Amino acid sequence: MWGKRMTLEWVNGVAALALGLLLLGASPRFPFLKNTVDFMGQVLSVPEYPIVMLREFCRSFYFWSLDRNKLRLSLETLQNENSRLQIVNSVLLSEQIKAELASRTTEARVTLREPLGWWSEFRMDKGLNDDIVMGLPVFQDGFLVGRVSSVSSFSSWVELLTSSSLMIPVVVEETRELGVVVGDGDGSVFLVYIPEGRGIAPGMKVSTALVSELLPPGIPVGHIERETSVSENGYVTYKIKTGASLSSLYTVSVFKYSKEMTR
Amino acid sequence: MMPHIFFWLLQDFLSVLTGSFPMPEIFLLSLVYSLLTEGRENNVIVIWTAFLGGLAWDLRWVGFTGFFTISYTAVVLLVIWAWSALPVSGRTTSIIFFLFWGAQLIPSVLFFLTLERDAGTTFFVMQQGCAVPLSLLSTLLCYKRINSNN
Repeated sequence: MWGKRMTLEWVNGVAALALGLLLLGASPRFPFLKNTVDFMGQVLSVPEYPIVMLREFCRSFYFWSLDRNKLRLSLETLQNENSRLQIVNSVLLSEQIKAELASRTTEARVTLREPLGWWSEFRMDKGLNDDIVMGLPVFQDGFLVGRVSSVSSFSSWVELLTSSSLMIPVVVEETRELGVVVGDGDGSVFLVYIPEGRGIAPGMKVSTALVSELLPPGIPVGHIERETSVSENGYVTYKIKTGASLSSLYTVSVFKYSKEMTR
Repeated sequence: MMPHIFFWLLQDFLSVLTGSFPMPEIFLLSLVYSLLTEGRENNVIVIWTAFLGGLAWDLRWVGFTGFFTISYTAVVLLVIWAWSALPVSGRTTSIIFFLFWGAQLIPSVLFFLTLERDAGTTFFVMQQGCAVPLSLLSTLLCYKRINSNN
């Protein structure tokens, strides 16, 4: 019984092999096999259809991911380029404004600086008759000194940057970060309200930001000297080295008021 | 027969899905599994299933008949011969693994010989990369089945 089964297996096996060899040898000679191949493909195309769809979906998804990645990189490049151009544009604009404003300034002499308010205010010899109004900026060598705080016919008082009651919105030119410059009433000036980690470093320039018609943007204030403290809520205070020499003020420049400034 | 058709279709679908990636011989694994776990009375059916499965694979993927027809039939005959030649005490897990792996290896080697050297090597390495873990899994399942039968 055992031998008979084994013989049967081997007879069938050898027959299958012989048939396989016959098919292998006959395959190139019988063109009808090509039709059989086509028929097999057609029959299997039905159950394979969802798989083909799945493969196409996977392929499309793969290429879509590649394209999306490429677009994301392009977008990042464009955004960086745009940021750089915006900075350049702002710098150019402030230079232009500076040049325009320089043509509207008039010279004034410091006539009084009281020892008690040494770091708060001084008086100059230009007033309403010279088109001076409250809020106008006052400079020394192109750098902001303070703002006109009160005006009479022939003189006016200027509140200094070092005054603890004068707060001027400014921008750090290199990073375009906005903050406020304020004095301590004791000869120092600080930049406040800057969040931590904004890449602000000593030497960066600080100029006025656009806040009112009377104080145009882009007027240089000075540069960052050092970081002094960080508040609990994450805001950093920097000491500012003013461009103007506030301890030796003899003459200053001041804008003359014009109607264009209120436009 | 039905499980073999299922595994043939599975191998076909995976080949369609992965395109040019070489698939392991899942159909052949199912045939070897049948030979090792079922009674000898089914061996003749398995031989002709291998023949028909190989023929269908040739018609679907090769374009001419005979190549996989002969490979699959020869593998099945070799496994029948090896398994019947072994005493029951010699049918260890490692032997079962070598039978499964050998079944994967023979068609791969034959196909490798028909391809160019670089393409053939890549095909062979990739297919064996999938075939060895599958052979291990089949060995585990087969071993459990044989133990439960005993």
